[in-house]
Amino acid sequence: MRANLIDKYKDDVTSFSQSKGEPDWYQKVRLDSLEKAEELSLPKYEKINYRSWRLDRPGSIESADTSEFNRKPQAENYIYQVGDKTISTNLEDELSKKGVILTDIFSAMKDYPELMQKYFMTKVTKTTDNKLTALNAAFLNSGVFLYVPKGVRITKSIQAMFVQDNSIDCDFVHHVLIVADADTEVTYLENLVSEGSGYKNKANVVVEVIAADNSRVHFSALDQLSKDTTTYLNRRGITGNNARLDWAIGFMNDGNVIGDFGTDLLGEGSHTEAKVVAITTGEQVQGIDTKVTNYGKHTIGHILQHGVILQKSTLTFNGVGHIVKGARGSDAQQESRVLMLSRKARGDANPILLIDENDVTAGHAASVGRVNEDQMYYLMSRGIDEKTAQRLVIRGFLSSVISEIPEKDVRASLTQMIERKLVYGQQ
Amino acid sequence: MSTLEIKDLHVSVTDDENGEGQEILKGVNLTMSTNEIHAIMGPNGTGKSTLSQAIMGNSAYKVTQGDILLDGKSILELPVDERARLGLFLAMQYPAEIPGVTNVEFMRAAINSRREKDDQIPVMDFIKKLESKQDILDMTDEMSERYLNEGFSGGEKKRNEILQLLMIEPKFAILDEIDSGLDIDALKVVSRGVNSMRGDNFGSLIITHYQRLLNYIVPDQVHVMMDGRIVKSGGPDLAKKLEDEGYAGLRDDLHLDVKLTDEI
Ligand SMILES: Nc1ncnc2c1ncn2[C@@H]1O[C@H](COP(=O)(O)OP(=O)(O)OP(=O)(O)O)[C@@H](O)[C@H]1O
Ligand SMILES: [Mg+2]
Repeated sequence: MRANLIDKYKDDVTSFSQSKGEPDWYQKVRLDSLEKAEELSLPKYEKINYRSWRLDRPGSIESADTSEFNRKPQAENYIYQVGDKTISTNLEDELSKKGVILTDIFSAMKDYPELMQKYFMTKVTKTTDNKLTALNAAFLNSGVFLYVPKGVRITKSIQAMFVQDNSIDCDFVHHVLIVADADTEVTYLENLVSEGSGYKNKANVVVEVIAADNSRVHFSALDQLSKDTTTYLNRRGITGNNARLDWAIGFMNDGNVIGDFGTDLLGEGSHTEAKVVAITTGEQVQGIDTKVTNYGKHTIGHILQHGVILQKSTLTFNGVGHIVKGARGSDAQQESRVLMLSRKARGDANPILLIDENDVTAGHAASVGRVNEDQMYYLMSRGIDEKTAQRLVIRGFLSSVISEIPEKDVRASLTQMIERKLVYGQQ
Repeated sequence: MSTLEIKDLHVSVTDDENGEGQEILKGVNLTMSTNEIHAIMGPNGTGKSTLSQAIMGNSAYKVTQGDILLDGKSILELPVDERARLGLFLAMQYPAEIPGVTNVEFMRAAINSRREKDDQIPVMDFIKKLESKQDILDMTDEMSERYLNEGFSGGEKKRNEILQLLMIEPKFAILDEIDSGLDIDALKVVSRGVNSMRGDNFGSLIITHYQRLLNYIVPDQVHVMMDGRIVKSGGPDLAKKLEDEGYAGLRDDLHLDVKLTDEI
């Protein structure tokens, strides 16, 4: 019989917590979560079966030595982490003076215990949401805390680079907490990439975004985890009154990944745009649930997901738009489209609308299709070969999300990532 | 000098509803060389666009008999992109729209597809060329930066087809109703573009309904197509005659048993 998680891992988790010099409250969160994880079940995804991925079996929490990779972001405000180590971080003086905090999650627990205890897995995602969120809290071994105090508007973007290292045997259990207090503005971009080879690892990543009243948060992510990394990726946010929280996510991983994205529109008049592009290649499986719930009156929630499936891979988009009773005057729209480039590819786009209020607008569009033949013919009639033409048509198909990313150089790197993955998938 | 020969060409399309093949071209013969402009006129639905698509290699059009030769070699087995790289160009009656891909990027890809991987066109050369061609067509950078044909007006699309023609510099260009939907000024501009290509290395097959275009781009030969065949060929004055007398007159002169779409 398999030992209980708590019996099996209590000592590892405790000693890791001590090695990081964590405050008692967080050590308690770890052990409580470990205990609860036992009872909680895996999150359920419509039409995705990932039980055999064993995301609920923790690997090692502590790494031996991490290698250096040359991945430092070219930005003024950034944080760069490899595995559980923070390599470097920088914040403009002016922002530090105003009280903006950008630091690794362990320092945050020690230096800002009040903020952390107030916001960490209490408002957006709870340790009790499912087995994997509980394991995230219990086995946490890296992460970032970003805090923007009331009234501060940050004009330059804040960029994070997280390297998940497969040259060592270590899970990547990562947590990002972003708190944008009232009347703030921030643009954040994270890169999640694998480096190294030799080991197969798991990643469990939870991102929480709190967009308080009248704040504007723009969150972009470029995900490129390798085929040796099996991942649970949870990125969710909540909004205060008249807040705006936008997501642009490039899902370009090479391994098996399930993603759980979305926003709870709590505050009146708040608005979220959740845009996801995904490409799957090889034999990988990627499944994405994007869920937006309108709680506040006059809230707007839009989901746009575009994906391309090559070779023998599988991509599933579930889009859930939910308007609860009382959210009068709200709007829930979603569009999920996938293109299949091979007969062996499998794809699904499942729109789900749950409407419990009358005075609302809602709609959905979903399709699973093939590359537009007229467009292919047109491009090829100018001499462009079939594969290049295909990549151009696909780029066009994905452009509605690409164009959403605010920084030009980030758009360019997403375009490059798309190109790379498509070239690989066309072989 | 290059030649394009169409020999006894029969082409069918498959009906979407009943899956049966329907013969559209019933034996077309046509030979042209670079340094020549040929015009094809003919009533609606007689197969002019079908001929252009069959030459380009659109897979919806099946060649059931006959041949198409470029410089003496059959191109029937070649896919569209190879035909294009051999020197064929089709300005389409209804060009596709492609969001997310700019005109500039597209034209560069088209030019580079004709060059070796390690000899792609230098950016400055490309821009210079683009600017000089845009000038001929009274076009601005703004249009070239836009997504390919997306949201272009009918006339803008036609102008954009000609811009591509000037950038790519094919041996043979088939222009399918390049004049339809153009105002009189645009018609002159587009004609100026095509005329700028005239020379030893360029030939064109111009499909049109209106003699007016042929005042600006004066053809060497005019062909009349009816019911899937070329029924008469002549000089530029044949177009004028048609404009005056219509197709019914010609049909009756030739004792053809063809029903014209607009006849009651
Ligand atoms: N892809 C297709 N599928 C089915 N029928 C087709 C297709 N393309 C052409 N046809 C048919 O073939 C015939 C010839 O069409 P085509 O477009 O070649 O005529 P056209 O001479 O160019 O006419 P117009 O002057 O109106 O442009 C028409 O009856 C048309 O309906
Ligand atoms: Mg036509």
